[in-house]
Amino acid sequence: MFELKPTINALMRSKLGAVLLILQLAITLAIVSNAVSIIQDRMTYLNKNTGYPEDDIFKFNSLNFDKQSDLLQQVELDEQKLRGITGVIDAVAISSVPLSGSGSSGGMQLKPEPQESKRSNMGYVTGDEHVLSTLGVSVSEGRDFTEADVVVIDDSDARPSVVIVSRALSDALFGAGKGLGETIYWGADPLSIIGIVETMANQWPKSSFGEKMAIIPMLRVGNFQKYLVRTAPGERAQVMRQIEELMLSGHRDRVISDITGLDQKKARYDAKDVLMMRMLITLIVVLVIVTALGIFGLSTFNISKRTKQIGTRRALGARKSAIVRYFVVENALICAMGLMLGTAAAVLLGQQLMQWYSVPALGYSFIAITAGLLLMMSLLSVLMPALRAANISPSIATRSV
Amino acid sequence: MLDMKAISKVYQTDMVQTHALRDFNLHVAEGEFVAVTGPSGSGKTTFLNIAGMLEPFSGGQYCLDGVDIGKLNDNARADLRNQKIGFIFQGFNLIPDLNLYENVEVPLRYRGIKSGERKRRVEECLELVGLAGRAKHLPQQLSGGQQQRVAIARALAGRPRFLLADEPTGNLDSLMARQVMELLEQINREGATIVMVTHDPELARRAPRNIQIVDGRVTDFTLYQGRSVDTMMTAGG
Repeated sequence: MFELKPTINALMRSKLGAVLLILQLAITLAIVSNAVSIIQDRMTYLNKNTGYPEDDIFKFNSLNFDKQSDLLQQVELDEQKLRGITGVIDAVAISSVPLSGSGSSGGMQLKPEPQESKRSNMGYVTGDEHVLSTLGVSVSEGRDFTEADVVVIDDSDARPSVVIVSRALSDALFGAGKGLGETIYWGADPLSIIGIVETMANQWPKSSFGEKMAIIPMLRVGNFQKYLVRTAPGERAQVMRQIEELMLSGHRDRVISDITGLDQKKARYDAKDVLMMRMLITLIVVLVIVTALGIFGLSTFNISKRTKQIGTRRALGARKSAIVRYFVVENALICAMGLMLGTAAAVLLGQQLMQWYSVPALGYSFIAITAGLLLMMSLLSVLMPALRAANISPSIATRSV
Repeated sequence: MLDMKAISKVYQTDMVQTHALRDFNLHVAEGEFVAVTGPSGSGKTTFLNIAGMLEPFSGGQYCLDGVDIGKLNDNARADLRNQKIGFIFQGFNLIPDLNLYENVEVPLRYRGIKSGERKRRVEECLELVGLAGRAKHLPQQLSGGQQQRVAIARALAGRPRFLLADEPTGNLDSLMARQVMELLEQINREGATIVMVTHDPELARRAPRNIQIVDGRVTDFTLYQGRSVDTMMTAGG
């Protein structure tokens, strides 16, 4: 019915075109399945909840060049002024901005340094008791900071004694669901965990420790100060527009810069991933089109080369459907060989990518789905030339050309 | 066996109508060996194509073994070709990617014959044409005469009652042409009806019955071996 044996024998005797197509299909499967896996991983990351209402938060920098001013007093004045703006929910002077790709990171451990103990990498920010409220997060266990918890770092030796951490950080150090009330060490300084926030990404959300975040109630002021502001939904744009003028109105000897939404900060941090995804999608589309054209071209070439043969087969009693079936089966055989080779190549490529770059392991489902789609595309590509072949008149068999 | 009444065939292009066959009448009885001759462009190939159901005709009636061809759809014509007709082409028309065995097997596969029976028939036909030992060879490894013998084996494999041969010795030297002709005569003696298109008068003379086509019409009947044209026409209907 399917003429499998003679079709395979015929393919073996006329290999070149088939081998090229097998290689093309194998390469397409290997690259496309890995590319789709990477895209899916990046999509998962990009759609992941950071814990923050990013559209309602923005940041800006203040660079002071008045050497006489009292910086701590200025920060407090600025915070008060910001919190008084209509539409602003809260504002805070903060050491660095979550999701921005820059800030401070380190390790929290169970024993003071230099003792060896369990340790977890994390990103941290420092600020006063308004940090959580400004970030739009709240503790699921324990309590928020109070004014009394906040330590101003100046010439004294005062050090913070409490910390609020993300669930991911407390789980990493103490096990699932534990950690509240425990003491962790930031270098040699003990910090008691007074609150746990369920979801709170740090400054590097796509890093391996992107969900491990600590907030330390500490204010260290300097000439360059970052501020974070959270507004009511829909109010951010109008607040951002008046920030520069408002800040300069109280104290003109400074520069206000980088007034940027938290979502924009994250978008800049993710720009390379988005670019990579676009490039991979382009690569997939180009590869699939080239492969489809290759199959279409080879089938068309084969048919024009075998016009007389097709006419002869029709003269010998082949129905039109038998001619279509012949080309579809031939293509399916080539495709099956290409996809088998491609599966092995995809696994090997996946392993190499995992080894060289921080990409996740390639799931076999990606190979299976990609192979299925390539098979469908391949059959669709051959169908039109095959239908054209079926319409070749059997009378061509008696023509001498 | 073959009965054509007032068959016409018109090829239509944008500007021109070409009448390849007009008012074409022919009856071939079962077991006959008919040679069809005629000058180039006379309509021989068109007649062969219509007789073999390789192309449709424009008017008239054609019955093959009692079946009215004009009433059949494409699939039914393909099935009937497969069951009733064996083709022998001038250029042999063997499939170059298939070996001799697979080539002879092609019409049997289209008929859906089981592999054991196919094997028996293919071997029997290759034996008949003297090429049983070369079943695994590819067509291009054979001489022209041998290739035509494979084509004859392929035409016979389906045990057709009607063989259509288009210049079967046209591409062969005289020795090979004689061998092929002897084979066709042997097949005819065994009961198959043969219609052979040729422009070789030598070859045509070896056929018991000759017809000549000129300008798309049967113009001349010649009967060899002492039988008269009238008798032949009566015998042919």
